[in-house]
Parts: sequence; structure tokens; C-alpha cells
Amino acid sequence: MRSTFMGLETSKRGLYTQQSALYTTGHNVGNANTPGYSRQRVNMQATSGFPGVGLNAGTTPGFLGTGVEAGSIQRIRDTFVDHQFRNESTKLGYWESQTKAIAQMEDAIGEPSEYGLQQTLTDFWQSLQTLSTSPENGGARAVVVERGVAVADSFKYISKSISEIKTNLGDEINVSTININSIFSGITELNKQIAEVEPNGYLPNDLYDARDGLLDQLSGYLPIEVSYDKTGGRALAIAEGTVTIKIKTNGESITVLQKDQFSEISIDGKDLKTGELPGAITGFTLSGAPAGDAKLSAADMKKSGELKSLVESYGYSDTVGGPVKGMYPDMLAKLDKMANAFATEFNKIHQGDPANKVYATDLDGKPGEAFFKAIDGTQPISASNMKINEDIISNPNKVAASTSKPYDDTDPTTNPEVGNGQNAKNLSNALFNKLSGPDGLGGSSVQGFFAQIIGELGVSGQQAIKMTESSGTLLLAVSNRRDSISSVSLDEEMTDMIRFQQAYNASARMITVMDEALDKIINGMGTVGR
Amino acid sequence: MRVTQSMLSQNMLRNLSSSYNNMGKLQEQLNTGKKVTRPSDDPVVVMKSLGYGMQVNRVEQYQKNLGEVNNWLDSSDDALDGVGQVLHRARELAANAANTGAMTDNDRNMIKVELEQLQNQLHDFANTKVGDKHIFSGKMTDKPLFNKTTGNYESGTSFKENVSIEVFDGVDLRVSTNVSDMFNNINQLFTDIKNDSDDQYDFGAALEEIDGLLNDVLIKRADIGARSNRAELMDNRLQMQEGAAKKQRSENEDIDYEKTITDLITSESIHRATLSVGARIIQPSLTDFLR
Repeated sequence: MRSTFMGLETSKRGLYTQQSALYTTGHNVGNANTPGYSRQRVNMQATSGFPGVGLNAGTTPGFLGTGVEAGSIQRIRDTFVDHQFRNESTKLGYWESQTKAIAQMEDAIGEPSEYGLQQTLTDFWQSLQTLSTSPENGGARAVVVERGVAVADSFKYISKSISEIKTNLGDEINVSTININSIFSGITELNKQIAEVEPNGYLPNDLYDARDGLLDQLSGYLPIEVSYDKTGGRALAIAEGTVTIKIKTNGESITVLQKDQFSEISIDGKDLKTGELPGAITGFTLSGAPAGDAKLSAADMKKSGELKSLVESYGYSDTVGGPVKGMYPDMLAKLDKMANAFATEFNKIHQGDPANKVYATDLDGKPGEAFFKAIDGTQPISASNMKINEDIISNPNKVAASTSKPYDDTDPTTNPEVGNGQNAKNLSNALFNKLSGPDGLGGSSVQGFFAQIIGELGVSGQQAIKMTESSGTLLLAVSNRRDSISSVSLDEEMTDMIRFQQAYNASARMITVMDEALDKIINGMGTVGR
Repeated sequence: MRVTQSMLSQNMLRNLSSSYNNMGKLQEQLNTGKKVTRPSDDPVVVMKSLGYGMQVNRVEQYQKNLGEVNNWLDSSDDALDGVGQVLHRARELAANAANTGAMTDNDRNMIKVELEQLQNQLHDFANTKVGDKHIFSGKMTDKPLFNKTTGNYESGTSFKENVSIEVFDGVDLRVSTNVSDMFNNINQLFTDIKNDSDDQYDFGAALEEIDGLLNDVLIKRADIGARSNRAELMDNRLQMQEGAAKKQRSENEDIDYEKTITDLITSESIHRATLSVGARIIQPSLTDFLR
């Protein structure tokens, strides 16, 4: 037998449920501009009919509906799109960082320009040519020396700028690990809260959103794999559970975060007192459970994510003290090689080879000394360790422009030939001589080698820009797809608002109808003849 | 696909930023006049531009070198022209002197005096300077060919060494003219005539010798002339090279102004369209119509 007031009860449920839906609409509208917010939906479901199913249930013809209830409030989200998003974000993180590192290097090298190394070398060449036509001219000599100083300065300046950027990249690696650790800690905290809420049958949608936001951020730094564990208790079937994060490597993935535990990432070989990084990164340690002090070696890192890109730019090696690889160390090494090869070749011509009757003599008829010298004499000449012989700076007559026999007191025929500019011409050719051998450039000239450096830098820069653009476009496409599923549409919410409002109104009207019907029974019946 | 406000505004933002980017690039190109400002803009263009830049600079330097060559050769030729005139005058004097019957001691003395003057003039020609270098002293350009202390023309090997200047990659032009022996011979002859105190001197032979010397001067001048011709040829070639190198450089790295300005105007209008489309799309929503 149904209850007299069942109709009122049914309509009341309608009111409540539509109200929940309206509140959720309000929540959606309010969060329309919240980054990372996923729109929410009230899953309405009809309550079980009357009478209940059972042996001793009453016999009525057919089930009678008892109204509606809000089964759950779910956020609209597609985990597959999230997965795609994070994949692309890792790629973009890598290429964006590469693009930045290469652009900074281009700025440091500053080619093509009127002030770059190329121009300095050209000026030096011109001054030597002028000297070859007027070797007796003190002005021409002074210009050669000055331009020589400019060459050494240019090498030093470029090398120093690149080293400075390399140091900054090291700082960025440091900051990245700090960020990664704080993201780990944030996700762990959210995991804990979610694990407390879910067993009570709730869906902590806003915690899920916060956690997904952190996962998105993390994916920019590292290639990650995310999986979920159910929390148990009375958790709903659509509850997400806690996340487990693994870092993908070239070998086996490393579990770095699980439930309420995470492993802290730290840079191997970092001086804990000064915070200084080693010259080349060998890898990272993930201390504590669940990774259990696992090593993420530089070689094993997958070629994606900002962290890997920074490591590649900064320089890394497979073993402590092993050969250093990476963009910035490579460039420094190439510049050193070029500076050394140029200085060696130039000095060779400037000093001649008296044993084989190849003479290089200065204005006073003395044999040429080394033109370029190392600042730190214990180290070979390099881009950062290069200067002009001070004796030559203070006395430009010492530039060995001549090929005449050195002056000899006992042999009056060995007058210094001041009009001999042959060697200045030979010196000017140092830029174009093909250099091979241990101090050489593998058969390239200094000029050719530099053009090659610039070309290679340009090609990798262009590649990085293209990859950044394409992964950026892909990321935008995925992000759009995600938004198309999860983001709030105000028009849609307004339509919903009207829908729920009307349903609410109709439920309220239903109560009025019931009221009138009951009024008939209570106040209008049994009054016949009164 | 379900499209929401946030997607529209995100897309608009991206479109705006990409059109700003585009305009920025074009503006930079217009400001610098160059297609590229960094290697990654176009590695091939940048690599080529390093090469072409060097080529232009080299050709310019070789043109300067060639100026030096012309200086040397012109001055040498002028000096030798002077030497020729001196010899002609000496020939006249010798011819007069040969006429022994009509010569008085006075005449002979006057000839001697003039010959001495001519000899001094020759010293000056031998010590011709261009800037601060003696052009007839071989590689000893700081020393005059005629040594006033010894009263002799220098004849050491270094004074006879050739000086050459590079006028193109691997092409050297000799600019010095070896005249040490010639001046010595002239000097010898003049001294001989001067020292002659009576009519014993064989002026007939002297005339012949002077003719021989004049011929020497002519041969040297012809040699200078030939080298001047080569220099001129080289100059033409360098001018052509310069034109070609500059043209190649320009074609490689300079922008086409008409095209770039047109591109800029196009991107400006695209940008404006993006802005106004954005303003129209973003504002109205259903909210505006629910009253």
C-alpha cells in the first residue's frame, strides 16, 4: 500500500536533485576561467521503484517510480587525452629548452654581424696584407698588433660568454630538481587527501583537478608514466584512486611516487656546501622509497623533457671524469681547437724554421718570436687562454714580416731587409691554410672551420625551432581536444540552468498539485449535506 | 566537436601571438635590410654570407694593394724617365766634347761642371722615395740606393732582391725594378769623363756607351710598362670580382624591399582581422540574451 504523502516525497526529491544540479552549474560557471578545472556533471538516477522487489512485497500492478536522486557528481575528463597531453608536453619541454639554449649560444657567438669573430679575423687578415705591402711602416705594424689583440679578445669573449651561459644552465638544472621535488611532494599530499576522502563514497573532483595540473607540470620536465590504485572502502566505481608515477628511461622505468611516498631527486656530484655542479652531469639519484636510491644516469635518460635537454646542453658524461658530451662543452671544445690551431699555425709562420732555411725576421733582423701566447703558460693556447706576446705589443717592430736571413754581425750581407713583406703575406694566409695533424682542424682552414661551426649551430637551431613549433602545435591540438571535453561552456551552462530551473519549478508545481489533491481529501471530503 | 569560450580565447591568443611574431620578424628584416640575423634563421644563407663577406673584404684589400703597386710602378717609371733625360743631355755634352778641335779648356770645365750636376741628379733619381720607402733599393727600402758616405751605389744582394705585392689570391706582381747595376755603369762612365783631363778621352766610345745605357733604361721602362699593363688588367678583373662578389652577397642575404613591405602590410591586415574577429567572438554569450 503506498503512502498518502508519497507524491510529496517524490517531488521533494526532484526539488533537491534539481537544486544540486543548479549548484553544480553555479560551480561550473564560477570556475569557467580556472586553469585546469574540469566541468562537473550531476549523474541523476531514478530512485528504486515501489514496491521493492521481494517475496513478501506487496502486489501492485507495476512499479511506481519514487523520483530522482543525485547518484554522484563527476568531473568530465578523458584520461586517454591526458596521457596524450603529457606525452606531447614532455616533447615540447625538451625542444623549447633546446631552442632557448641554442638561441643563447647564437647570441653569444653573434654571427653574422659587423662585430663578430669573423669580422675580427677578416680585419686581422687585411692588416697583414697591408703590412705585406708596407713592411717598413710602423703604423701598419701597430695595426697588425692591435687587430691581433682584437682576435684574441674575440675568442676570449665568446668563450667566456658561452661558459657563463653554461653556468646558468647548471642553475636551471638545480631549479628544475627543486621544482620536480616540490611537484612530487604536492602530488603525494593530494594522494593522501584523496585516499582519505574516497573510501567514504565521495568523489573529490577538485583534488583530482589539482593533481592532474601537477602531473601536467611534471610532464614538462620528465617523461612520466602514470597509473592508478583503487583506495578501497566504500569508494565509488568511478573514483580514481591514488597515482603512481614512473620515470621512463631507456632501460626500466623507475617508480618515484606511490601512494603517500615519493623519492627526492638530487644531482649526482653536486657540492652540498657550495651548491656547485660538476662540469658534466653523470646523472641523478632518487633517494628514499619507493625508488630506493635508484640512479637515473644521464645516458639512460630518455630524449625528452626539459631536464634531459638541460643536461644535454650543460654537458654530461657516462662516468665521473669520463669524456664530456653535450652542446655547450662541444662548442667550447671546438672554439678551443680552432683558437689553438690558428695560433699554432700563425706562430709557426711567425717563427719560421731556421733549421730548414725558412726564415721569419722582424724589422731589426731578429728571428720572429711566438706571436700568440697562452695566458696561463702551463696550459695550451685555447680560446679562453690566449694573448699576444707582450714584447710584440710594446714593440711592433717585432712583427716578423720579412723572410730575409736573420741579421748576423759577422756576415755583413745579412742586412735586415725592411722592405721584405713576404712573411706578412704568409701570415695572412694562416687563415686559409688547410690544417691537419694533431694541432690541426682535420684538413679544414680556420675560416672554413668557423663557417662549419656556425652552419652546424644554425642547422641544430633550425631543427629545434621546427620541433618546438610542431610539438607546440600538437600540444595545442591535444589541449583543445581536452578543453572540448572538459572545459566549461557558458552557453551550455546557461542552457542547463534553464533546464534545471524549469525542472525545479515543475517539481514545485507538482507539490502544489499534491497539496490541492490532499486539500480535497482533508478539507473537501465528508462534507455532504453540510 | 564541443567548442567552449576558453578554447576560443586560447586559439585567438595563439593566433595573435603568431601574427605578432611574424610582424616582428618582418620589421627586423626591414630595419636591418637582411634576410637573416642569426644562424638558425637560415644556416645555408648565413654560412654563404660568411664566405661572400670574406670574399668582398679580400677583393677590397687586393684593390688597396693594387693602389700600392701603381704607386711603385708610376714612381719608378717617372724616375727612369728622368734618368733617360739626364742621359740624353749627357750624350749632347759628350757629342760636343768629342769635337776636340773646337774645345777650349774653359768649355771642357763647363762640361765637367754640368756633368757633375747631372751625376748628382742621378743620385736623387736612384734614391726616389714613395712614402717612406726607397723604391730602387730592392728589399732594403729604408736605405737609399746611392750611399752618400761611400759615394757609391749599393750593390749588395738585398738591394737587388725583388719586392712583390699580392694582387689576388696567389697572384703576385713584382713592383721593384733592379737598377743597381745600371746606375753603377752610368756612374762609372760619368766619373771616367769627369776624370779626363786632356783630349785623350775617346768620346766616340762614350757616345756608344751612352746609347747602350739609354737602351738599358728603355728596357727597364718597357718592363715597368708591361707590369703596369698587368696591373691594369688585374684592376679590371678585381672590379669585376668586386661587383660579382657584392652581387652574390646581396642576392644571398639582402631582403627584397618590395616583397618584404608587401608581406608586412599583409600581416598587418591579418593581425587587424584577428583582433576584430576576436572582439566579436569572445564577447557575446548566451548570458547576454537571457534577461
